[in-house]
Amino acid sequence: MTASLSVNDLTKRFGDVSAVDHLDLELYPGQIFGLLGPNAAGKTTTIRMLAGIIRPTSGSAVVLGMDLIREINAIKSRIGYVAQHFALYPELTVSENLAFYSSLYRSVPRARQAAMLEQYNLAQFADRYAGRLSGGYKRRLSIVCAISHDPELVFLDEPTAGIDPVTRKELWDVFYDLAAAGKTLFVTTHYMEEAERCHRLSFLSQGHRVAYGTPDEIRGMLDHMHVYSFTSNHNPRMVAALARLQGVKVINRFGLTTRLVVDANLSREELERFLDEWPVIDGKPVEESISLEDVFITLTGNMPA
Amino acid sequence: MKLILAMAKKEFLQLRRDPRLIGFILFFPVLLMILFGLALKLEPENVRMAYVDNDQSLFSNLIKTSIWSEGYFTLYEVDNEAAIIRDIQLGKARAGLFISSTFSAALFENSQPSVQMYVDGTMPSLATAMDNNKHSITDDSVTNDMYFLDPDADNVVIPPDPFVLDVEVLFNPDKKETWFFLPGVVGVLIMQVSLILTATAVVREKENNTLEQLIASPLSKTGFIAGKILPYVIIAFIDFYLILLLGAWLFDLPFPATNQGPLFLLALAYVAGLIALGVAISTISQTQQQAIFLSIFFLIPSILLSGFIFPVEAMPGYIQPVSWLLPFTYFVEIIRGLLLKGNSMSDLVVDYLALLGFATVFTWLSIVRFRKYLD
Repeated sequence: MTASLSVNDLTKRFGDVSAVDHLDLELYPGQIFGLLGPNAAGKTTTIRMLAGIIRPTSGSAVVLGMDLIREINAIKSRIGYVAQHFALYPELTVSENLAFYSSLYRSVPRARQAAMLEQYNLAQFADRYAGRLSGGYKRRLSIVCAISHDPELVFLDEPTAGIDPVTRKELWDVFYDLAAAGKTLFVTTHYMEEAERCHRLSFLSQGHRVAYGTPDEIRGMLDHMHVYSFTSNHNPRMVAALARLQGVKVINRFGLTTRLVVDANLSREELERFLDEWPVIDGKPVEESISLEDVFITLTGNMPA
Repeated sequence: MKLILAMAKKEFLQLRRDPRLIGFILFFPVLLMILFGLALKLEPENVRMAYVDNDQSLFSNLIKTSIWSEGYFTLYEVDNEAAIIRDIQLGKARAGLFISSTFSAALFENSQPSVQMYVDGTMPSLATAMDNNKHSITDDSVTNDMYFLDPDADNVVIPPDPFVLDVEVLFNPDKKETWFFLPGVVGVLIMQVSLILTATAVVREKENNTLEQLIASPLSKTGFIAGKILPYVIIAFIDFYLILLLGAWLFDLPFPATNQGPLFLLALAYVAGLIALGVAISTISQTQQQAIFLSIFFLIPSILLSGFIFPVEAMPGYIQPVSWLLPFTYFVEIIRGLLLKGNSMSDLVVDYLALLGFATVFTWLSIVRFRKYLD
């Protein structure tokens, strides 16, 4: 399969800071590619470079067979870009916003515009001012505006940030439909459960690519490790003692649950013996299957937001 | 009270994070204050006066010297009376003086000759000041030596003035202030529409985050700017003709049919220049606040230093270059010429070229400044 987007040694520096550092990526048609990372990892900078909004400091990319720098104008008519912030005209109606963005590309028939509003559940608000829509519908409209011209490659910068779970699921259905239709989707997110839904993904940390592949391949990076969880009341002294235990890589506390990533230096028996010494424990450690979040935290030492 | 202070403190903090705006707030008022303090005087000074002295006598010299020493006028000689009027029409002179060849002969006969003075009526402040001051030209210090009465005569009457000063106001004989101001008001209103609307229009795309979306689309830089300004060009043109026609209808402002072509060209050059300047301002501003501040910084000197209210000639020589840097100065000169003085386009060619020059420079500036990339 030929890549619809291949990124080669892409770098963006702002002053002395490398926001994106020598990044390589390949995206394929019909697939959703997820770029994950904590805030300020360089996700937005990457997507903005690839959509032709800012210029790379060095490196190159081939977008739909065209050179990112030299052929950016031709590229722009064949990609879609959904910015992180709503880029809508609040004083225009829903259908006026769509008509405007559609008119920037080779003509998008009225009938298609109407059909898209219908398909994305926006037809009922066609005459409402965009500024008056709820967050979820603003997001839908942003997406419709960015894909009305039927682009082959769509960049979506945190398309589900601040969106309720039901709407988020609906949006992902949309993404799958687009991918099924042969489009390439480039999505940034910091939701781990969304990462699981991507065909392929990459973790970014401080501008560096720290993981790259299918979700299974990425989980495979922790093959030699084990993940355990147990429940306990919060006890800072116990956490501190755990951290000193040899073989403990990550301690991830969430509410009453503590999740540990441990390597071969710590056996299950040793862990059980350790936990027995602390009176606050309710129950034995349970071995868990490795999640993308485990990998992510292990690789970056960062909690995903 | 505490809450008010908290709010005020937050507001100050926000201001402090916008160093450019702070610069505008502190720097511009100081600059404008100094500029206006030096420049603005209602009393005219150094007004150019064309004269013809066919008498060439001690007495005609006395009158010229007296006018010169008033300090209002800088005199220069022309060939004949028609040349005086022509120079005033072209704006080379704002006033004229004609002394006929029979002046001193008439003085000897006590027949009270008249001296003809011309004033540019498109500058009412000047015309009014002349009216108020013309007595100083005919006061005793000048006229004492011009009496040729027989001192031994029986009936010593209080002599009339030895000569009279005839002041003729050209181009606006009634010194209508509305005629003086209205043509310029057109320019001020157009300036508001084209400058402030365009300056904020582009910044608004930035603030709305829509600029980023547009950059990601195939819309070209030229397409963006052209499409952005087209509505404001149309609005500015509608305003231009609306105000002129209203002026003609309500205030009898002349709207000469013969000058429609030049008027249209004036509107075109002026609007193009201002809209391009608006785009340039928009590209250097990060926020609408900054854009509005910059526009106003341009608007106020335009109104005060352009000759719209105060004659440029009355400003000190080192301030005048500022006037020549304002498109509005040329607009005022052209529109008064076309509407009031009956100038043809060839009379105003320098002013037209200046306006076109501004349009070119500002367009170039806005294209250079407008980036296709956000960084």
